Amino acid sequence: MSNSLSAAPSRKQAPLWLWPLLWGALLLISVVAMAAAEPLFRWIEPDARQVIYARADFYVLLGRHLLVVGVAAVVTIVVGVLAGVLVTRQRGRDFLPLVGQLASLGQTFPPVAVLALAVPALGFGTLPIIVALVLYGLLPIVRNTLTGLQGVDSDIKTAAHAMGMTPIQILRQVELPLAAPVILAGVRTSVTINIATAALGATVGASNLGDPIIAGIVNGNMAYVVQGALTIALLALSVDSLFEILQRQLRSRLSS
Amino acid sequence: MIELAHVSKRFGNETAVDDMSLHVPKGKFCALVGTSGCGKSTTLRMINRLIEHSEGDIILDGQAIKEYDPVKLRRRIGYVIQHTGLFPHWSVVRNIGLVPRLLKWPAAEVQARVEELMNLLGLSVGEFGHKYPHQLSGGQAQRVGVARALAADPDILLMDEPFGALDPITREKLQDELARLQAKMHKTVVFVTHDMDEALKLADHLVVMRAGRIVQQGSPLALLQHPVDPFVESLLGGLERGLKQASLTRVKDHMTSMGQMLPAQSRIPADFSLRQALSMMLRDHCDRLTVVDQHDVPIGELSLRRIIKEAQLDKGSA
Repeated sequence: MSNSLSAAPSRKQAPLWLWPLLWGALLLISVVAMAAAEPLFRWIEPDARQVIYARADFYVLLGRHLLVVGVAAVVTIVVGVLAGVLVTRQRGRDFLPLVGQLASLGQTFPPVAVLALAVPALGFGTLPIIVALVLYGLLPIVRNTLTGLQGVDSDIKTAAHAMGMTPIQILRQVELPLAAPVILAGVRTSVTINIATAALGATVGASNLGDPIIAGIVNGNMAYVVQGALTIALLALSVDSLFEILQRQLRSRLSS
Repeated sequence: MIELAHVSKRFGNETAVDDMSLHVPKGKFCALVGTSGCGKSTTLRMINRLIEHSEGDIILDGQAIKEYDPVKLRRRIGYVIQHTGLFPHWSVVRNIGLVPRLLKWPAAEVQARVEELMNLLGLSVGEFGHKYPHQLSGGQAQRVGVARALAADPDILLMDEPFGALDPITREKLQDELARLQAKMHKTVVFVTHDMDEALKLADHLVVMRAGRIVQQGSPLALLQHPVDPFVESLLGGLERGLKQASLTRVKDHMTSMGQMLPAQSRIPADFSLRQALSMMLRDHCDRLTVVDQHDVPIGELSLRRIIKEAQLDKGSA
């Protein structure tokens, strides 16, 4: 009896780590041992001279991809959360509509267009794609930071104020912790979208998992395209499932 | 001590509080009563500077509140609101210890104070200490709210309809407890409510407000006996006024020594209210009650005819 009871929670927790582990393992296998699937890709492109993308190792491409997305994510989170916090303060309130519109504008502007405009200014390479990703990823984070902060019960803020907390203390100890789940959801959306969008960097000389896709399109080699798309999809799924765990833990900490 | 001298508050063209003067002596319980929007909550919030007053002076212990640093001022004033405003991501212990921690008390002292307050408010530390606000009932949550307000032992306690969201039974229990705490601690309390019974029960000094102005202030008994206008009278319960007054009077103040007649069947403890005595008379179809002490020993009797005669005399002399 007690056995079955104690087993129940662990059975419940199993799916939590299952998905990131599964997607992560598949990602790892695909970047290390892509060549092993040669028969499969040969079936897709029977006539091509080469069916496994070999201009760079997949794990190198994965590393560069992660670097670009990671740098963009850090910049987006810092800028987005900071903007969200500033415009919800008493003094920044006037800028609230402006920031909301700017963030929306960033997302309506297609990343390809941003790249086209950024390349002349910043040159080829990694920098233009990071700029494009930051602009593209800002909206979900700004929007969710605003929603999260505005969603904090005004009674709670009044009480915090009335107890003699300073504005900084209220922000750090009350508002941000309570808004954290919503902000994290925005970060999750932003990062997941940007993992896919980063592939565009291959067009401006930022080498990453987009390379096989672009090379495949240019050379008419569908096998390359599938290899790039597959690894990007697996990366997105791995990261997304990690966020899921993070969110659940945050939520359970807030309401346990 | 709290002193308001000709205090006004304007929001744009709207006047929320108009030329209000009020004196709350140290250790007294002052209730602000009125219909919603009459400016009572605004008045309360002006005292801890959640809202800055436009005109006049608010003086706390001889010093105008404008001269205090607002953050420091608030840390020495307890504040309780209707929906508690407890931090949902903090445990009960952490919520209660907030102000002492802000004042940088040593951790051991904060812990000791939190436990002291939880015991004072009838919350077992072991059972509730590590719970989160959403795991508490409304009454328990408001006890935590009161404990948080009292944590740094402030002289002044501001309460904004603290029991307004509770069911009647819990509300009455918390009112009794607040009365008990106040008898022990003698805080200077300003209490906002629209529940006249609550105000009559708890207050030493009653302030009736309408449209940002004070209509009448004085002791609860004085207001019940001489309401200045129909508004105050209706707020005091109109025809129910007699019973409300009776609920402020103890049985022992009206009892007489045992008469020649046989003692009445129904017994009432001496510290019950006159209202409860009248209710018992109606229930038991009698016009006399035997008054007993806490050991159920008869010490006198209460007669309906005599109560009415005394009321007539009161009216005549006043």
